[in-house]
Parts: sequence; structure tokens; C-alpha cells
Amino acid sequence: MSEAGPLHNEMVTLKIDGRALTVPQGLNLIEAAKTVGIEIPHFCYHPHLSVAGNCRICQVKVKGSPKLEIACNTKVREGMEVFTHLTSKEVAEAQAAVLEFILINHPLDCTVCDESGRCKLQDYHYKYNARDSRFLENKVRKVKAKPIGPYVILDGERCIACTRCIRFCDEITKTGELGLVGRGDRVEISLSEGRRLDNPLSGTVADLCPVGALTHRPWRFNTRIWFAKEAEAVCPGCSTGCNCRVAVRDGEIVLVRARLNPAVNKEWMCDEGRYGFKRFLPKPRLVRPLIDGSFAEWTVAAARFKQVLQGELLVFVAPDLLLEEYALLKEFLSKLGQKYSVVLSYRRRTLNALQALLISPDYAADFRAAEFAGLVAGDLEASYNETLQRVREGKADGVLIFGQRALLEEDIDDHVLQGLGRASRTAAVLSSAESKLSSVLGVVLPGQSILEKAGLLINGSGRLQYTSRVVEPPWGTKPEWWIINALAAAFGIKLGVSGDESQLTEHYLKNEPRLAGLTVSLLSKGGVALKF
Amino acid sequence: MGNHRQILLANIKEADQHTLAGYESRGGYSVIRRVLGMEPLKAIEEVKKSGLRGRGGAGFPTGVKWSYVPRNSRKPVYVVQNADEGEPGTFKDRLLLERDPHLCIEGMLICAWAVQSRRSFIYMRGEYCFPYMRVNQALADCYRAGYLGDNIFGSGFSHHMTLHRGAGAYICGEETALLESLEGKKGQPRLKPPFFPALAGLYGCPTVVNNTETLAACVRVFELGAEAYAQIGTAKSKGTKLISAAGHINRPGVYEIELGYPLERFIAEECGGVWHGRKLKAVLVGGSSFPVLRADELAGVNLDYESLQAAGSALGSGALIVMDETTDMLAAACNIARFYAHESCGQCTPCREGAGWVAKIFDRLAAGRGVVGDIELIESVCGQIAGHTICAFGDAVALAAQGFIRKFPEEFKARIKGAGKHLPNGAEDVSRLKGV
Amino acid sequence: MKLSERAETALAEIKKKYPAEKSAVVPALYIAQEELGCLNEEALAWVAERTGVQPAHVRELASFYSMFYSRRLGRYNIQVCRTLPCALRGAEKIVEYLRDRFGLKPGQVSADGMWSYEEVECLGSCGTAPVCRINDHYFENLTPQKLALIIERLTVEKPDLSYSTILDSLGVGLKDYPKSEIV
Repeated sequence: MSEAGPLHNEMVTLKIDGRALTVPQGLNLIEAAKTVGIEIPHFCYHPHLSVAGNCRICQVKVKGSPKLEIACNTKVREGMEVFTHLTSKEVAEAQAAVLEFILINHPLDCTVCDESGRCKLQDYHYKYNARDSRFLENKVRKVKAKPIGPYVILDGERCIACTRCIRFCDEITKTGELGLVGRGDRVEISLSEGRRLDNPLSGTVADLCPVGALTHRPWRFNTRIWFAKEAEAVCPGCSTGCNCRVAVRDGEIVLVRARLNPAVNKEWMCDEGRYGFKRFLPKPRLVRPLIDGSFAEWTVAAARFKQVLQGELLVFVAPDLLLEEYALLKEFLSKLGQKYSVVLSYRRRTLNALQALLISPDYAADFRAAEFAGLVAGDLEASYNETLQRVREGKADGVLIFGQRALLEEDIDDHVLQGLGRASRTAAVLSSAESKLSSVLGVVLPGQSILEKAGLLINGSGRLQYTSRVVEPPWGTKPEWWIINALAAAFGIKLGVSGDESQLTEHYLKNEPRLAGLTVSLLSKGGVALKF
Repeated sequence: MGNHRQILLANIKEADQHTLAGYESRGGYSVIRRVLGMEPLKAIEEVKKSGLRGRGGAGFPTGVKWSYVPRNSRKPVYVVQNADEGEPGTFKDRLLLERDPHLCIEGMLICAWAVQSRRSFIYMRGEYCFPYMRVNQALADCYRAGYLGDNIFGSGFSHHMTLHRGAGAYICGEETALLESLEGKKGQPRLKPPFFPALAGLYGCPTVVNNTETLAACVRVFELGAEAYAQIGTAKSKGTKLISAAGHINRPGVYEIELGYPLERFIAEECGGVWHGRKLKAVLVGGSSFPVLRADELAGVNLDYESLQAAGSALGSGALIVMDETTDMLAAACNIARFYAHESCGQCTPCREGAGWVAKIFDRLAAGRGVVGDIELIESVCGQIAGHTICAFGDAVALAAQGFIRKFPEEFKARIKGAGKHLPNGAEDVSRLKGV
Repeated sequence: MKLSERAETALAEIKKKYPAEKSAVVPALYIAQEELGCLNEEALAWVAERTGVQPAHVRELASFYSMFYSRRLGRYNIQVCRTLPCALRGAEKIVEYLRDRFGLKPGQVSADGMWSYEEVECLGSCGTAPVCRINDHYFENLTPQKLALIIERLTVEKPDLSYSTILDSLGVGLKDYPKSEIV
């Protein structure tokens, strides 16, 4: 037995479908097969939940074993020879049979089921079975369309009893709301009387459910998934940086699912984050510049903006800009030649134990990137509060508010508005058309939401991740990095990083020595832990 | 009861055998006293030498099972007596528990000493209330006598035994499901690996689960000596077995026979032959979990592990269900299929859905709505349940159903629409056996 | 919420017999069922509280095991074994008899609350088939006539046929009723 530890991982060589592969000891066959691009279908298995071994669809043939083994519960062994459906008729038949068994009592709900088009049962059926039903009997009936919590709705008949949802509530949140009552083919998901599925991560069970037995209430019946475009993004809700997949149709977010990232969020998401994406797309939207509260042309507004920057500056930055934007801003401000101080709107949040399982105690997704870029340092919350206080006391002369959430909503009180009104030079980049700030600021440029950009984020643990664009920005708005570049150009300052959208991130990575060797494609595979 | 050597049932007819005084008056608890002076490993060797095999159904060599328990385990070692007798046709453990509870306790103490367990449980099916009271009393008497507790028989070895009542679930007779149930969860069998009871059993600790009859037999193994015990029976089936004989016979009941006794003779003599002077049609041996045997398949078949296995059946729990010529095999198949559908725990896909499916097809056949392809469908479905499940329950579903349709194909074919009536004795709706 | 003093004490005593508290959940369910007449929501909540098992999982257990009932049954619940050995020896006639005599379907309770019946799986008394279990007592070697006599006696004598988990005692049963001879 080798010692545990990343440097002492014993490797095991085995054959799957005749192909030799060498993988770390301790891997199960599903994970091992994945490394060589072989899919072993599975419903009940999840890398971050206990092994249940009840669906039986991951059965494989292992040489020397008289019966088929389930891949999820079989660890790699030196010299093992494994045969999947690709090379074993017995395995293919067994998998087809499991699908047939699941389908005999499964309701013909595809036409009305939200899971359709992204349903593992559908996908596997077409891949591994695709035969007509031989079932002539009456199906078992169970509960239909029953809300079991504020965010999740249950269809008992669709359930395949994989127990992923139960294991999640038992092992991860430890709230134990769910159980499978009954016996035999009458088993059904149930909660106890008076109880709801209301832990802070409750929506995760709808992600975990391989079929449409548990689906999201807020998005029920809103669209077919094939009409939507999906983007692999990072949730901007807090500095945990949960990986997610966001589906958008006609500019509306229609589904948010967690993405697997063992180092960040496993495959979980909190309800606040998941169902709260809308708050990053304010309505109505600011799509034209404002000067003294009235609409203006870009060129005029930009000139005014340039004026504001000529003098000492108090800079408020939003906590959800991209790393590239923080870097650009830092470079710009340092080359500008003015006295300036930068604060980030960080406010600590109190969380209960359940929330703290996944949520970070802040609403600041990317504050670490601002630190990495050298833009801010030290006690962020104290600095932010102090600077706000200075504004309130009328001690601010030049104020730059960079990003919609650079000032927290709860902080925009009358004193702050007065203080800003009294300052001689004020400018902002905002995205909401209804910000109270607009009326007291000298010039406002229409910026974009984090969801409308693609780029890098650093989460609270220092992990560098890449987020893709989720929605198209409204016409008339510009991303913050573009605005910085434009302003720099107006001052004749050449910034180190290109302002071309398609190469923003690549250029940044190339020019940042601390991130040497990293590329977007590398970072898209789960991110990289940084030490700083 | 013929000339069978009565080892387990030696004292079963004594009116006070269930009392401590009665038990001891006939030599009870003298064996454990002696065993407590033996090296535990030697005790395991004795059981191995005796060739004793599990009497609950699986027939696994008992001594070998005990030897799997790690020596010097830092975790406590548990012994659990499987008194969840639920296999259809089986009622022999009940006899022991009711009439000779101390034999069951003494046997368990022998096992406990051998594997160095200080804590054991008797898991008794919930329906057995009268036996429960008997064992309850027996345990209380043992504690009072110092035969259980902190210093049993003055040996310095401590052992505590708890009687636990089940709540009506056949699957809890499966050893890992039993452990789950004992831990306070649903009786759903565990995955093996990694949950082999000897290594990760009750509360994740090394555990031996043995059937009541097996543990009772242990007393006799040490009483007679392993060699003498191994003289009884056949090459691979040592000792005696309690056979629960039921169905269409004149003398149903529990019989103790030397393993290897011819089956047909057993039915004819011990059981008094088929009742009402009728002809034998079929027998289910070992419970409902193995293929039925036709009357014409019984020649040369003996009541032991190897002979029955060779005949395509198994000794199993030692149940024997006899069916006479009036029995409609479709009705029998419906009955058993419905049993499995009802008792399936529902954990894994093939059994959960398949057991229900098979029962529904049989019911449809019985209701006269069978269609061409139904028999083949049952075969196919069963073929995809067997070997693909977490536990042997799935295999039982398949073996039982396949047994009926393979051994009596004509009766099932006759139920396919348009195939013409072919019903024995003019019976009509046959989903339910008429019995008498 | 609390059950009666003796119920609470009984559970406390039973818990001592197990190394882990959760193992006492089935006995707790029996106690609650006995005290409250069936495993209603109150009962399940009590069990969850007393054993530290999540309420949803208590509900799982109550529905998994056949001997737990979520509705009140008749004072005498006649459980007729329907599995093969009993079926072979006339269980169907017993069921038919009960259906006709009481005019009830399995699971239904008579208007006076006295009777209910159901079909159950193998009771482990195949040698004396057909067999029924009334509450916690076995009645073997049945015929419809015998069962009729038993029911008559139960109606008149109203004996205790139940096992009490709280008192750890079995009701006396039908006096002088022959015990089975299964040897």
C-alpha cells in the first residue's frame, strides 16, 4: 500500500475494452473509463455522494468475475480487464434491460416534462436501448406535480428511485427532508408531515435528479431546453464562485444548473445564487450615457468623463468586475498620474451553518481578483466604509463609481447622495436606469453586467476560473474594460492588455507573469488554484 | 417420524424443555461450559471440521464464515441470530425458538466465544409473538442464572444478548438487510463489497449472522464432537436438517432427517404421502426461491445440498411444499410471483420493476388475457433480473418464475389466447388457488 | 409531545439494550402504534424526536414494514396467510368466508370498529395451514367453520390477543384454544 498524498499516488494499469490505461489508484471504473473517453452510463452514482449501486445501469464485465459488476462500486485494480457495452453483448443487453425496467412504470410524460431534451433517461434510452416497449400491463400510479418546497416540484411517477436527492439531503445538507416510502415498485419520494424541502441548497436536488421527477418551480414550463443557448459560467452571487451552466432564451435566463467542479462547489448550488441571477440584469437598463442626469451623446459624455478624472480621485469599484478589468483599471489609474485611492464594496455577511456549507459570507464574487490586480488591499470592508463616510461628510472632491454594485444599494442614503452632489467631479459606470445616483452624478456611462462578459474571476479561495458570456449585452452599453481602454486612449495612455474582446483574456494571461502558462482552455476545465 | 436420529429435536417433545430447569435437566448448558475452556480458534476449527453448513438457505460452511472475523479486532464483534424465518414453506426455526429456546441461546454463545463477541442480537420476525415471549423468558432466566451478563458461567467472559423484533419484511431475512434493519433503517440489502458482514457488519463492525437452526446445531457439533457429527449425512452435507414439510401431504410438520435422505421416500413415509390419495405433481424444495421440481424429476434426488443442486433445485431452508395433481401451476406461479412483488424492497431497478412486472404478466395470463409471446417475455424478463441485482432476491424471483414455466410449459401455453382450454379438473379463474 | 409515562419508560428501557439509539426506532414505532392505535403523524413525530431519526426516514420505516399501520384497524385484525402453502390448503376459502361474513374488503374496518381482515404473506406456520393471525396470536389448522367459532368467541369473550411492547407481555389469547402441534 502506498502512502496517501498527491505525490505518492500509486498508478494502476488496466484495460477497458482492450485499451490500456494508467490511472491513479482509488478511481472507480466510471471515472477510469472517462479518462479514455468511454462513457459508462449511470443514474445513481455521483462522485460526491455515497455509492448507492441501485440503478444497475453501470454494470460492466470484469474478467474473472462470474457476474457483471457495477462500475461505480468497483475500484481499479492492476491488470484488470473490463468490458463495457462497446465490447460486451452481455453488458449491452443488461443495460438495455435496466432501461426497459425503468420505463415500464415510467409515465409517458416527455411531452409535458421539463426535463425533456436534457433527460438522462431519454439520452440513455436512445443510446443504450432504443427498443419498443414490451409492457402490456397497467403502470403504477403515484403523486403528480406536487410542490415539495419553495423551489422544487415532485412528480412521483417519473422517479427512478436512484436516491440521489435523499443522499444529498442526508449527507451534504444533513437536513434529511426526503425519504423513499413504501416497498417494491410502490416506492415513492416523500417528506414528513408539515415539512418542506427548504434548505438553502434545495434546488440542487433538481439538478441531481436524472429525470424529471424533481424540477425547478421558478422555471416550470418556461421553455424547451433546445430553444435555449447554454453558457458555462461562474455564479456572481458570492465569492464561492460556483460553476454553473446557464440557459438563455431570447435574453431571458430560463435555467441555471450547477456544473461539476470538485474544487469549488462539487455539483451544488445555493438557491439564492441559482434563482437570483436576475438581480445581475437590472431592469430597466441604462443604455445611453447621462450628463447631469440627462441623456447625452457618447462623445460628449466621454469628454466630460475625462474631465472628471483630472484630479484626485476616490474610486469605488464593484466586486463583480472581471480580473482583466481590475488589472486594466489598476494600470490606467497608475499611469494617469493623479492621486487616487480605490475601495471595493465588500460587506461581510452573517450566515447560518447550512448556508455556510456553500455560500461565502459576502456578496462580492471577485474581490480577490481586485486584490490580485493590486487594486485594493487590507481590510476591504473598513476601507469601503471609511471612504463612504468621507463622501457623506462632503469631503470628497473627485469620485469615480465603477460598476453598478460599486456602491451597495443599502448605502445609497441621502447623506451619500448629498455628498456626491457636492463633489465637484463625479463619474460612474452603471447598468441600471433607475439608480438613485444618476441624478447627482456628473456623468454616467452605460456599463455591462458580469453576465454579459466573458473573462476571469478569482474566488474567495484564490481559484482562478473562466466564465463565458451568459447573455448578450443590450445595444448601447459597453463593457467596463472597453470603457477603460477608451478613457486611456483619450489620455494617450497605452495599456498593456489589448482591448479586443476576443483576445482580452488571452492577452491578459500572456502579459501577467504570475499566470504564465495558463490559457483559457486550461482554465475552463475547472480553474486553477493560485497562491497569493 | 421414522428411524431418524433426532439431534436437534431430541428433547423437543418434553413439556418443560423451554424452561431453564427443563433444559438443564437434560444436559443443557454443559456444552458451552466446556467450549469456554477451549481456544476460540480451536472452536472455529471444530465447526469447520464438522462440515456444518448454514441452515437458513445459503448453505455456506459455518466454520469458514466464523473464520472470516478478524482476530483481535479493535472494533466490537457482534453475533446476530437470524430468526427472521420468512421463506415460504419454512417453519422450523419457530419450533426451536418456541420449544427449545435455550438450545438457540447456547448455540449462539458457542459462536460468540469462538469469534470473541461480547454482544449479540436475536432478530426475530415480528409475527412470531409467542416464540418471542419464550425466548424473552429464556434470556431473563439466563441473566438471572449468570449465563448471560458480565461473567458468564464464571468464566470471566462477558456476553450480552438482546432480543430484537422485526416488523414484517421478508427481505430482512437477507443478512445485510437484517443488519440494516437492526441499525434502525429500512431492510435494504447492502452492496458486497464492501459490506461483507465479517468485516463491516452491524454498525460497521465484524459480525457473524447465522440462522437459528445453524446455531442450535453448533451445540450438537460440540456435544457429539466434530468427527462424529461429520459421520452423519453425506460427503458434502454433514449432519441433520430440519425439513418443514407442507402442502398436499397427510402429515405436514417439521421433521429432522439425516442429510442425504431420499426425497420421494420422505414424502411417502414421513409425510404420509400425498393427501386424499392423489398423485404427486410437483414439489418446491428449499422454499419458493428455487425452480419447482416435477414428480418425474424426483427419482434419485436426496434431501441434501449437492443432490438437490444437481437436480436444479436446492436444499435452501429445508422447506418442502408438495403439490398434488389438482394444482394449477399458473395459479401457483401467480401466488409466488405476487409474494415476491410484495416483498421486494425496491432498492435496485431489475428487482423493483421486474418482480412487479412478472407478477402482472402471470395475473393477466390467469385472467385469460394472455397473448402470444407472454411466456417468452417472462423468460426474458427473468433472465435480465437474475444476476443483475444487489442481492439474491432478484435471483429468487427469476428462478421461481422460470421454474414454473419451464417445467410445466403446456399449462402456461394453454393460457395464451386462442390456444384452447387445457385446465386441470375444469378449474376456471385460476389466479387464486382453490386448495382443498 | 409526550406519550404516557409507561410508554416513555418502556422506550427508555428498550434503548438501553442497544449500542446505538437509532436501533430502537422499530420498537419505538411499535410503542407509538400501540399507544395511539396506529402510526399517525403524531406517532411518527414522537418516534423521530425520541430516536433522533429524521422524520422523513421514520416515515420510510413506517411504510416499509408490513406490521405498521397508518390507519386504525378493527379491534381484531384478522391476517390471513395467502402464500402458497396456505393457498394450497384452502386459504382462499378463509378469505372468501371473511369477505362474505363481514361484507368488507381487505383493509376496511367494520362499522362497530371490531373487525378488519387482510391477506398477509407467509406466517411461518405452513405445517398447520391454512393459518391466520388475529392481532398477535396465531390460529392454525383453520376451516371456515372453525374461524366462525373463533369469531363468535372473540365477540363474546373479547380476549386480549395483542403483544404489548410497552408492557412486554402477550395477551392471554383465546382461553383453552388448542395450541398448534407443528412437530
